Amino acid sequence: MSQENKGVWVFSELPALAFELLGKGRTLADQLATQLTVVSISATSDGNELVQHGADKVFLINDPTLTTFQVDGYTDALTALVNEHKPDVLLIGATRSGLELAPRLAERLKTGCVTETTRLELDAEKKFVLMERVTYGGNLVETHISRSRPQIATIARGLFSPIPADPSRKGEIVKVEPKIKPSNTKVLETKPKTAKGVKLADASIIVSFGRGVRKKEDLAIIEQFAQAVGGAVGCSRPIAEDLHWLPVEQYVGLSGQKVNPKVYFACGISGQIQHLTGIRGSKIIVAINNDPKAPIFEFSDYCVVGDLYQVIPALSNAVKELSKSQ
Amino acid sequence: MNIIVLVKQVYQSADLRVDRSTKTLVTQGVARVISETDKNAVEEAVRIKEKHGGKITAISMGPPEAKEALREALAMGADEACLLTDPLFEGSDAHATANVLAAAITKIVDFDLVLCGNYSEDLFAFQVGPRLAEICNLPQITYATKITLEGPKVVAERDLENEQQVVESKLPCLISVTREINEPRLPTLMAIMGASKKPTNTWTAADLSLDKEEVGFNGALVEVLRSTVSVGDRKRIVLQGEATEIAPKLVKALLQEGALKGS
Repeated sequence: MSQENKGVWVFSELPALAFELLGKGRTLADQLATQLTVVSISATSDGNELVQHGADKVFLINDPTLTTFQVDGYTDALTALVNEHKPDVLLIGATRSGLELAPRLAERLKTGCVTETTRLELDAEKKFVLMERVTYGGNLVETHISRSRPQIATIARGLFSPIPADPSRKGEIVKVEPKIKPSNTKVLETKPKTAKGVKLADASIIVSFGRGVRKKEDLAIIEQFAQAVGGAVGCSRPIAEDLHWLPVEQYVGLSGQKVNPKVYFACGISGQIQHLTGIRGSKIIVAINNDPKAPIFEFSDYCVVGDLYQVIPALSNAVKELSKSQ
Repeated sequence: MNIIVLVKQVYQSADLRVDRSTKTLVTQGVARVISETDKNAVEEAVRIKEKHGGKITAISMGPPEAKEALREALAMGADEACLLTDPLFEGSDAHATANVLAAAITKIVDFDLVLCGNYSEDLFAFQVGPRLAEICNLPQITYATKITLEGPKVVAERDLENEQQVVESKLPCLISVTREINEPRLPTLMAIMGASKKPTNTWTAADLSLDKEEVGFNGALVEVLRSTVSVGDRKRIVLQGEATEIAPKLVKALLQEGALKGS
C-alpha cells in the first residue's frame, strides 16, 4: 500500500452533483487534514464556483473534444491526472455516465472501486475510507474498503448536501491539458427525453401506488391526492413494466428511480425489497395498505391499515381542510 | 458474427427475505436464476444470430451450480457454454471477476461482440462490464436499448437519465444491455431438452493460466469488512380505524413534522 497518496478528489460531469460531492469531500479532506481537489471538464466553467463550494484546488480541462461525456477521453484525462498527483480518495458522481467511467478508470489504475455507496466515513486510524453499500435487493448493508489507492467511490445524487457558496473562499485554479487518445466510440445523435411532469428525483412529496389500485381509471384518486399535497406521482415496477399505466421513468425501486422526498406515500404497495431500496432516502414514509402484514409496514413511519379507496379520498379532503386552517 | 454473452447466476431477488430474529438473509429455498438483464443479453445475442448467423458462447463464472444458468442460456439459443469455476475464484471482487472473464475471452479469441447485462441483480455494482472491456482493450457501450449491426460497425441506442444517445463503435466491442431492449423468450420443451446435448466446457484457474494471486480473495482490490442485514429504523406508528378519522390525524402529524407544504 502506497503511503504517498494524498488528497481527496471529486469528479462529476454533472455540475449539481459535483457540488454535492464537494460537500462530502470537504468533510473527508478536513478530517484527513488534506486538500480537496475537483476535476472539472467543461467548456464554460472558470472554476470559481467550485472554489466557492469548498474546493482548494480545481483542475480545469477545456478540451473541445470532451465537451460532452465520452468514456474513453474522460478515462484518459482522469488517469493522467491521478497518475501525476496520486490522490488518496476519489469520489465520482454516480450518474449513468459516471457509473460507466468509474470502473473503467479503476481498472486502468488497477485500484478498487465501490459503486453506489450510501455512506462514507474514515476508520479509527484514518487509513481507510469505510464505504457502505446496499446489496441483495436492499437486504444487506456491506462495508467495503479498497486495498489500493486511490480509493474510488461513486455517489448518487441527493445523498450529500453542497456547502453554501462562499464568494470569499480562496482556491487554486489550474488549467490542464491531459493527452487524450481518439475515442473508440462516436455519438451519432442525442435526443433529449421529454420530461413528463415533475421529476421524481427532485420531488419533495411523492404519492406512489402499486397493485392495490385495481384499475387504470382509479388512478384519478391517486392523482387528486397528489394534486392536493402538491406531490409527484410515482408507482411500483409492475405498474410501469407490466401494466404500462405509467412510463418506466415513473417507477420507483432499485432498478428504477431512487428517490429522497420529505414524504413518500406508498398507496397499495406491498413493499417488495426492490421497491424499499428505492425509497430508503425518504425522510418520512407513509404506507397505506389493507393487509396489516404487508412488508411495507416494517419500513414505514406511518402505517395506515385500511382500504386505499376509502383512505386516499379522506386524506385528500383532510389536506384541503387542514391546510386552509394553517 | 460470433458473440460471447456473459451470464451471472443469482438468487431470485424478489424472494429474498431478512429474518429479523436471526438477522440473516434467508436464501434457503430461494431459486437461482439468470440475473435479469443478463437474460436480456442472451436474448439479444440470439436475435442477432438469427439475423446475421454465427456462434454464441455463453460464459459464467460461479459455483458448479451456475451450470444451470448456462443450461438455460443454451436452451434460449446459445450454441456453447463455458463454466468458469474454481474454489480459487471465491471471494472475487469486480476486478478479480473481470480478470477471470478476460482470461476466458482471450482463450476463445474469435469473437466480434461481448454482451452482458448492465447490472447484476444481486450486487448492482455496474462494474464487471467496463472493467472487462478495459482489460481486453475493447470499446464499451453501456445501457443499450437497441443494437444494430452495420457492416464492420455496431450502432446502439443508449438510455441515459435525460437523453437518448445513438452511439457507433467498431468491432469487437462490449455492450451492456438494459431490461428494455427486448422480452426474453421462454425456451420450448424441445429447446430445453436440446440444451443438454450442446457442449459445455468447464475451465479452472489452471485451464485459464491464472495465478492464485490474480483471482478470488487474493486478487480482489476491494475487501468486504462486514455485512449486516438491513432492518428498518422507521417509527412504525400504526393508524387503524375509520378512514375519516385516521385521515385528519395523519395529515396533522405530517403538517407538524413540516413534511407537507401547509398551503
